[in-house]
Amino acid sequence: MMWRALSADWLKIRGKGLWFLVFLGPLGLTAMQGLNFGIRYDYLKGQYQSDLWEGLLGNVAGFVPIALYLGGTLICSLIANVEHQMSSWKQLLALPVSRTSVFMAKLLLCLLLLVCSCLLLSAGTLGLGLILGFGSQPVPYADILRLGFASYAGALPVIALQLWLSLSSRNQTFPVAVGITLSLLSIFSMYLSEWMPLTWPALAWEAESPWLFITSGLLLGLLMILPGAIHFARKDVD
Amino acid sequence: MKSTVIKTTGLRKVYRGRAAVEHLELNIGRGEIYGFLGPNGAGKTTTIRMLLGLIKPTSGRIEIFGQELRKHRLQILRKVGSLVESPSYYGHLNAVDNLEAIRRILDAPKSRIAEVLDIVSLTGEEKRPVKGFSLGMKQRLGIAAALLGSPELLILDEPTNGLDPSGIQEIRSLIKRLPAEHGITVLVSSHLLSEIEQMADTVGIIRQGKMVYQDTIAHLQEQAAGDLRLAVSEPEAALELAKRRGCGGSLQESRVILPRMSDARVALLIKELVENGHAVYRVEERRQSLEQFFLQVVEGGVS
Repeated sequence: MMWRALSADWLKIRGKGLWFLVFLGPLGLTAMQGLNFGIRYDYLKGQYQSDLWEGLLGNVAGFVPIALYLGGTLICSLIANVEHQMSSWKQLLALPVSRTSVFMAKLLLCLLLLVCSCLLLSAGTLGLGLILGFGSQPVPYADILRLGFASYAGALPVIALQLWLSLSSRNQTFPVAVGITLSLLSIFSMYLSEWMPLTWPALAWEAESPWLFITSGLLLGLLMILPGAIHFARKDVD
Repeated sequence: MKSTVIKTTGLRKVYRGRAAVEHLELNIGRGEIYGFLGPNGAGKTTTIRMLLGLIKPTSGRIEIFGQELRKHRLQILRKVGSLVESPSYYGHLNAVDNLEAIRRILDAPKSRIAEVLDIVSLTGEEKRPVKGFSLGMKQRLGIAAALLGSPELLILDEPTNGLDPSGIQEIRSLIKRLPAEHGITVLVSSHLLSEIEQMADTVGIIRQGKMVYQDTIAHLQEQAAGDLRLAVSEPEAALELAKRRGCGGSLQESRVILPRMSDARVALLIKELVENGHAVYRVEERRQSLEQFFLQVVEGGVS
């Protein structure tokens, strides 16, 4: 039943700017580093000459957490808005489909779109590295793949929260404001305690033991789905 | 005896201490067009949302197709099509994609989309984005969506609200066709009596969350029927004669007002009047308009 809801959602997001956002994030980040390395090519190449790829990945990684938070916030809000806009909830939820399936379909859609973004980021970074001529050194494929996905796992708790907030209220001002605030706070994650889930996307990439933060992100993310799903299943639809 | 499709017992919904629906007993038989009538804010939409499981009743039972809604919601909803208040649609998609999004969830056959578009006469418009549709077309699309799952019960909340007269006419004839052609039971709500009168077989009138009248339209019309007025040459004498024949009555603006009576009795009375030398100028039945009767019911309960 969830798959049927998901396939309907897949159709509904057509022309809603979601795919644009999915491409904008990773390609924007790649382009930014293209500019960075393009302008200071010799300087940076000198700086990172022992491991050019690590230099590139490190530069991209600095912006991945905020991009994930902002992107996740906007994707959740846009997905929720498809139904909010013309009050389609009453039509959708009066269909023979369980509320949980509807919620899980929305969640899955949001997660899948972000997976696309992460894959694009890896592909873009690889492409950029090759264009910059880093191909002379061995390409760290695993790290390139880890670039988006490690932080993605760390960002799951906030993404689950954002989906819950966005689905809950018709007015998207509050959820988006919360999302942007969290994104901006995440810039200062180096000053925050590692107990704060907000810092996990950054730590999931750069900490000594990244798996700790990746696993924590996954677990807390799963846990955060519960209140959202339960609330969604029980609330009155106006 | 027709089987019951919707039955509610002691249905109640309280919002912030205020009862929007109070001890509502609905009884809707198979194949009926049931008109759910009441002024704005009387609790029609709240009731309909409860019937669809969109909101939870504070207390009371809802049975649809003989099954309890709370326990068999999905099974029941499979056989129900609905249109609740303002049309719900995805403006950026065209009509076919709007229906396709719903079809994927219902798992109905693909051919059904063309069928329902045909039923609501939207064939030919299906490739245009729905945001460019007129309100009437959006509303018809909403009905098409409700019909998509080949429902046995159709629940329509204010389907003609905000439409122009020709749009209202179209929706009305569409709704009237459904029970006959597709064997569908229809629950249709409205705040306009004339609407319900022209569509429904049975009417339930709701006021401040309570059902104040539930019977057939024919019975409603009968109850609203008015009195007989006679314009004659000598009203006083004519009234005397009528009273002697046990008809009662009164005098008003020099017309004899008599309560409703059978055709045979009217004929007899007129004959006697004529035989007694009265000139009968006019015999009128002044019907109290249904609208007046409705207002009376809504304002203070039925007498």
